[in-house]
Amino acid sequence: MVKAVPFWLRVLAGVFLAFTALLLLAPLVVVVGVSVSESQFIAFPPNGLSLRWYSQVLSSNAYLNAGWISLQIALLVTVLATLIGGAAAIAIHRRQLPFSELWATVFLSPLVLPTIIYAIGMLMFWSAAFGPVNPVVLALSHTVIALPYVVRTTLAVLSESNPYLEEAARTMGANRLQRLWFVVVPQCVPGLAAGAFFAFNISFDEAVLSLFLRGPNLTTLPVQIYGQLEFSPDPSVAAVSTIMIALTIALIVIIDRMLGLTKFASA
Amino acid sequence: MNDRTENLLLALPGLLLLALAFLLPIGQMLALSISGPDGPTLDHFVRFLSDPYYLGVLWRTVRLSFLITLICGAIGFPLAYIMTKVGPRLRLWLVVMVILPLMTSVVVRTFGWMVLLSRSGLIPQMLRDFDLVGRNFALMQTEIAIVVGMVQVLLPFMTLSILGVLTRIDGRLEEAARTMGCSFLQTVRTVVLPLALPGIVAGSLLCFTLSASSFVTPNLLGGSRIQVLAASIYRSVTSAPDWPFAAAQAVILFVGILLVLLPYIKLTGGKNG
Amino acid sequence: MAEVRLQTIRKSFNKTAVLHGISLDIRSGEFISLLGASGCGKTTLLRIVAGLEGVTEGRVEIDGRDVTSLAPEKRDIAMMFQSYALLPHLSVAENVRFPLRMRGIGNRDEQAEKVRAALETVQLGHLAERKPRQLSGGQQQRVALARAIVSNPKVLLLDEPLSNLDARLREDMQVELIEIHRRLALTTIFVTHDQEEALSLSDRIVLLNAGRIEQQGTPDEIYNQPATSFASNFIGSANLVPAEIVDGPQGPVARLGDGQELALATGETARGTATLAIRQEDLSLTTSGAGPAAKIRTRVFLGARNRYVMTLAGETLRALTPNDVVLADGAEVRLTVEPARIRVIRG
Repeated sequence: MVKAVPFWLRVLAGVFLAFTALLLLAPLVVVVGVSVSESQFIAFPPNGLSLRWYSQVLSSNAYLNAGWISLQIALLVTVLATLIGGAAAIAIHRRQLPFSELWATVFLSPLVLPTIIYAIGMLMFWSAAFGPVNPVVLALSHTVIALPYVVRTTLAVLSESNPYLEEAARTMGANRLQRLWFVVVPQCVPGLAAGAFFAFNISFDEAVLSLFLRGPNLTTLPVQIYGQLEFSPDPSVAAVSTIMIALTIALIVIIDRMLGLTKFASA
Repeated sequence: MNDRTENLLLALPGLLLLALAFLLPIGQMLALSISGPDGPTLDHFVRFLSDPYYLGVLWRTVRLSFLITLICGAIGFPLAYIMTKVGPRLRLWLVVMVILPLMTSVVVRTFGWMVLLSRSGLIPQMLRDFDLVGRNFALMQTEIAIVVGMVQVLLPFMTLSILGVLTRIDGRLEEAARTMGCSFLQTVRTVVLPLALPGIVAGSLLCFTLSASSFVTPNLLGGSRIQVLAASIYRSVTSAPDWPFAAAQAVILFVGILLVLLPYIKLTGGKNG
Repeated sequence: MAEVRLQTIRKSFNKTAVLHGISLDIRSGEFISLLGASGCGKTTLLRIVAGLEGVTEGRVEIDGRDVTSLAPEKRDIAMMFQSYALLPHLSVAENVRFPLRMRGIGNRDEQAEKVRAALETVQLGHLAERKPRQLSGGQQQRVALARAIVSNPKVLLLDEPLSNLDARLREDMQVELIEIHRRLALTTIFVTHDQEEALSLSDRIVLLNAGRIEQQGTPDEIYNQPATSFASNFIGSANLVPAEIVDGPQGPVARLGDGQELALATGETARGTATLAIRQEDLSLTTSGAGPAAKIRTRVFLGARNRYVMTLAGETLRALTPNDVVLADGAEVRLTVEPARIRVIRG
């Protein structure tokens, strides 16, 4: 590699990477910058340095409520998507159901359908059938869009596991439940973990479903921020956003420690 | 209990969830799109397709999505290729560079662009300082703003799609091409690019679909003057409630995306979801 | 330890028959090899004994009990897989303990003791706490063996367990398998495509071909008295030469396609069209003297020996010679074979 690539191309690659890094990271850096500004107004580069916007966020009921709702929903979605998606992936992987090829497509289909289409379908269906939306509906709809990720990551690890483990367990006297619990589920763990992280991240950051299915007492953090941005953004929005970025970074560090980020990215 | 029962039991919660909270709502929406005061009607579709304003919205959506996809591909392919060639340390940082924005809420990222692109923001300020543009130059509420913002939102999807395929290419193929007299660029063109094509196609379809159906970024960066289809749907649901019309627009979006996806799904036998 | 009885086992996959009525009695404590090329049905037969595959027709008995429709987990067997099938999330000791735990054999202390003994048997006691992926292929293989013997199963099933090892390790493992079998006297069914492995390990070899038993017998019988041309070609990869058996002045001779003759043992009774099976190592090559003339095509140097590929009466023959026999390509040589070493297969 070192000798095979012309020098000018290596320089070009360096310039290109710098440009891409700027494009991808500039908005995040700017948000962080604005959040520590002293000024009343949104300004970048920031004037002065202060944490006043953070203390304002932490004393704002609107933000705290939204954050609390987001967290509860994200945790519920993580549990539901991981359990339901993991179980489905195991069934799909065994290819013993009728139309076995079809099931993977069915479970991955929410990935292909644009969220906005699903969101208005969900809103219309729920309003027509049951009336006002509630947190559980929002969590269920988040689970639907997170499900394909869990199914995909779990299928990926299962396809790499030794296909004879279940048979071997049978010859060692393990019954149906024992095979599932002692043999299959442990194989799935890395995929389930990756899927769980995806699910939490998707739900916590999701804006489209949350905007369509919002209600007076059902405002998630992204919706709260969106509302602020549409009407009267002040640096407190930047402070909340920075907190969300920090959470994302924490999540990435955990993922890298537990699963290896490079592997996770190719899932 | 036999194998089939066990597997059905395992898949059942997922099937129930998808049936009740996915297929039923979509069916409901399809039904609503053709519902009128006196039974089924195609009025909502006719209204959309005969109104120059909405046709303009549709055309803008297609045009911008295409442009965004193109730019994402042009940046995403070299980025992914470089990621496969650098050492593990740099690769990890590049992965972070791609994943961090991907895992950050779209709302937050769009906010960053709002700050950068606003009248007094860094980018217009710099352009004015270098006398590249006039005093009244503005980026916010233009199509350029939408494109820039959306490229940043979608570039990670494109990059990861291509990266997934590139990492599976046998590196010896490139070495073989070099021993057969290909220069570096020829190797990329004749070996890497054709082999990466499935990833590029998949990434492009993903970008196009997501771009055509997103409204958070276009709404915030383009404002109410520059509407795209998804934003128009959102408006029909919230500010000027007309649900059957919103449903009809969603169906048009859905059909449009299917038209783009179908040839590909046929080509790959539907194996990639 | 138990006897296994297979009665007219037939098996079809999607209407393609892979086993055509196999009957086999395996004595208690016997080490039996199912030998055959890939696709002959040997692994399917083993999986039927394990219960991992159902039968289309026939009956499987273990210890006099009909187990034809009994689930594998209830059969009290142990099986070693070609890929070892070690559970990657469990340590070596936990892997070996797994069958005891699943079958509820003994309490924790007794299980630990059995695990320790089994690992001792395969000389892996010091690696008990490792994870399978931290072990070499040979070590993983020993863990799989320990796991198979730890529960003292009625039948031990081995599915090509040595095929993923390199030549040296394979030889070591063969010795180990022989010793363990001698010590534990487990009824063992061993599937392999490697004739040497089958010859060196088994009490009895069952040669399978296209879903049928071609021949069975002790390694000595199988090697020295192959009953069919398939058997003689498969075991020892003998040369097969079509010939006409006629009476010569000094007894029966085989007349080859080009009229040259080879002397046969005087006791040979067959006459007419037949196939001669001649082992590669039984052919001696000389530049002068009697015997049919053949033409050398290629020499393959094998270190201790040379293999010559040559043409005789339009047939390709292979001969293994000591490495000091050096002949040039294209040279004409005379072939001599001890008449008793030629097997005549009728038809």
